[in-house]
Amino acid sequence: MMAVVKEKKGCVMSNRDLEYYQKMMNGDKQSLEAIYDKYEKLLYSFVIKLSSDHSLAEEVLQEVFIKLWTQKAQYDETKGKFSSWIVTITRYTAIDLIRARKESVSLEEETDVPEEKGDSVEDLVEWKEKSTDVRRALSQLSDEQRRIVDLFYFKGCSQSKIAEECNLPLGTVKGRLRLALKHLKKHLSIQEGGISDA
Amino acid sequence: MRECEKVLDYFNNELSNTEREKFEKHLESCDECREELEELRMLTDDLPFSSDPVEPPEGMKDRVLGAVFEEDKEVSEDQVVPLNEHRSKEEGPAHAPKPRGNRQRWMMSGLAAALAVSLIGNVYILSNGGEESVSEPPISESTDEVNSRVLLQGEATTASATAAIIRQNESQLLTLQAEQLDQLEGDQVYQVWLLAGDQPYRAGTFVANSNGEGAVAFSMDQLPADIDWEAVAVSKEPDAESQTPQGEVILSSTL
Ligand SMILES: [Zn+2]
Repeated sequence: MMAVVKEKKGCVMSNRDLEYYQKMMNGDKQSLEAIYDKYEKLLYSFVIKLSSDHSLAEEVLQEVFIKLWTQKAQYDETKGKFSSWIVTITRYTAIDLIRARKESVSLEEETDVPEEKGDSVEDLVEWKEKSTDVRRALSQLSDEQRRIVDLFYFKGCSQSKIAEECNLPLGTVKGRLRLALKHLKKHLSIQEGGISDA
Repeated sequence: MRECEKVLDYFNNELSNTEREKFEKHLESCDECREELEELRMLTDDLPFSSDPVEPPEGMKDRVLGAVFEEDKEVSEDQVVPLNEHRSKEEGPAHAPKPRGNRQRWMMSGLAAALAVSLIGNVYILSNGGEESVSEPPISESTDEVNSRVLLQGEATTASATAAIIRQNESQLLTLQAEQLDQLEGDQVYQVWLLAGDQPYRAGTFVANSNGEGAVAFSMDQLPADIDWEAVAVSKEPDAESQTPQGEVILSSTL
């Protein structure tokens, strides 16, 4: 029952996004602004997590919204949620810009697995709903698993770089990563189940 | 490296162009790699939500959106190069046209290019309800100057148009190019109007091609001189004879 409600809520949310997106496609500046307002903080925070660089984060957001507005990046609603799409665009834009700047991202320090913070109440419902769960799921991975996920997803490292950083044979990186990600998903779905029961 | 071992580097955009193309070919025939990619997407889907909330800096929204809409203007100005070159220095910033789904393609299309080029020369495309005929533009010295350029929009349509008034020596030329127009029926035409006070003046007619694009250049010498034009509008007319708008005004802008 709970699952159905959740499903519905997600559905309404993405329909709103789709509506904004389509209006924006027709040149409606207010709709682009609405998308901006909705995702600004998530995307900004996400790029900070990817790069730890505030000036880069603003540049990335600018690139992302230029891509949206000039339709260099186009969303296809049959391929998933708008929120997944826009964070994916943001991630690739960030990775590209980081590489273009030829800044070697420090691999010394793992991106923090964030602790829960008191002041982390966000307007974006999806973020609010997921942040605690995802953090908790990440914290349940082994150190090595978390490091692989971090190097691969948040640092955008190549397979050989990950092998080097983690002292793993090249051929095992993919298997380890997939295993880590599957654990993560499993922990996530357990938590979601827990929430539904409550 | 075997192709199947490149999934991660493909996902992270680490492959060179040739490697990427090769891998994408491989993807077409390898179910396993496609599934792995899909799985990676799905499994990493929630990770961005683990980001610690960071407050964006003061004024970021204005800067970012400002740059976005500025970019849009630059893009469109780049594409209408000849007009841009002839803009006078005193003129304020041009209005930023809205982007459209096919804006880029249309702006680059032959008609637009030919029209823009023809403005440099002295070729006027005067269409009276027929197709515009764009002849080879003669290359000539010119003192063209864009006096004003505006974007026309309407409430009930996705169509839009850009209009410009260009001064050529002592003459003035009104050019207008429209896109995403509805197809016309029978003798219908799109009629351009210049408005001063409540008085509309005919300022050229055009029809839409099969892509919904239409354009016109109108010599304003035919109009009374020294009028302070307040607006430009496009209406759909039953034929090319309307002396005042009979049909609905679909697009308009103040000048
Ligand atoms: Zn394969």
